[in-house]
Amino acid sequence: MNKTYEVFLGCAIPNRFNNYESSMRAVAEALDIKLLDFDGATCCGTVVLKSIDEYSWLSMSGRNIALAEKRGHDIVTPCNGCFGSLKDVDHVLHTEEEQRKAVNEVLKELGLEYTGKSKIRHFVEVLYDLKDEIASKIVKPLEGLKVAFHPGCHLLRPSKVAGFDDPELPSKVDELIELTGAKSIPWNLKLRCCGSPLLIASEDVATRILKEKLADAKASGANCVVTNCPACHTQYDVQALGLTDENGESLELPALFVTQILGLAMGLDEERLGLELDRISLDPVSDILGI
Amino acid sequence: MTESWGRFKSFEGMTFKKLDAKFTKKVSELIGGQDLTACFQCAKCSGGCPVSDKVNIQIHEVMRMLLFGLEEVLETDMIWLCTTCYTCQERCPQGIDITDILFGLKNMAYRKGIAPPGYVAAAQGLYNNGRLYEPTDWEREDLELDDVPEFDINDVKKLLDKTRLLKLQEEE
Repeated sequence: MNKTYEVFLGCAIPNRFNNYESSMRAVAEALDIKLLDFDGATCCGTVVLKSIDEYSWLSMSGRNIALAEKRGHDIVTPCNGCFGSLKDVDHVLHTEEEQRKAVNEVLKELGLEYTGKSKIRHFVEVLYDLKDEIASKIVKPLEGLKVAFHPGCHLLRPSKVAGFDDPELPSKVDELIELTGAKSIPWNLKLRCCGSPLLIASEDVATRILKEKLADAKASGANCVVTNCPACHTQYDVQALGLTDENGESLELPALFVTQILGLAMGLDEERLGLELDRISLDPVSDILGI
Repeated sequence: MTESWGRFKSFEGMTFKKLDAKFTKKVSELIGGQDLTACFQCAKCSGGCPVSDKVNIQIHEVMRMLLFGLEEVLETDMIWLCTTCYTCQERCPQGIDITDILFGLKNMAYRKGIAPPGYVAAAQGLYNNGRLYEPTDWEREDLELDDVPEFDINDVKKLLDKTRLLKLQEEE
């Protein structure tokens, strides 16, 4: 099983969730996953560029894939947006010869070529490979943590592209979460989009979706939300600040990255988990987290 | 109903000048458009859509408009209020790549200048900076993270010049 990857960080993590990167690196080190720098990486283009112009998007993500391919490495990313974009481009370039030709026409001028040899994986996929090892490293169980796990869309769908978990009844990341002693609770809107991609077009609609999600997570008995994506996390840990329902009740729920709770339960250096950078107060669960 | 996007608010009292078979064909040639005409209007797509209750025109109605060849579809709010969650595509019993078709429609609308201003700014930002957001250095220093790997912005500009990203709206 491969444990060496070039790590594709994307734009959102270095911009506002450096604690996700730091906690990912801490967990990776504890599991001997080797994360190489992705020299020359630009934005993947994500659904933003795909919405504007598919040729530009295919070329931009295609260039990133071709860089890792040239160096003979597989790619891992902790971001659903980057994962979805890179996987989707990989899928199109694999299946549509015309598109591949057009993209390679662009890449030729940069001394690159896409042939599709590099595998693209999400960081949680790699963690799932190592779940037995993770289980053996849990030293500080998080009993009492009731997690509304939000898998996000592009980790799962379209399933023929993502190829990770059951798109209607996913369980793999939940298994990882429960290794920590936490409970991944069932909630009605678990699989619904968080609304984050709409922040660029309509913050109003994005926020209405977020309110529905948080109200449902709370009603289902969760005491925190866990994600594996900086775009989704932007909703839960930035946009949710000060959010209330129609009765003026706070909708805030502590928001954590899956790597932060794994790191805590594995007893890793708390400084590196970056909990002090979490914007929504962790006070309601600080006793459970032991912080 | 949202007032946040789209000129096309309702079918009520609406008349369409043209049923354009060429438009339907053009859409079926988009990435993911190959099975467009298999839609039988079961509306399962709208059943799972997170914005069905927040738009004027729902996704199964968009699909119907496409089959009728109604180019006015590009002015509906559904086009830009799609969250890209892929639930409709995942569940379509006819295997239609609905979300991917919507991306193609966004491309068409963008070229006609029918797009939220944030997208025009994002295109320029990607061209100028090669990324959508810049790293926050003080956070990285606090956490003792290395600098984000570098890239040559000229490579990005060369690539996006070739794909004509900043000229798309001039060509229509």
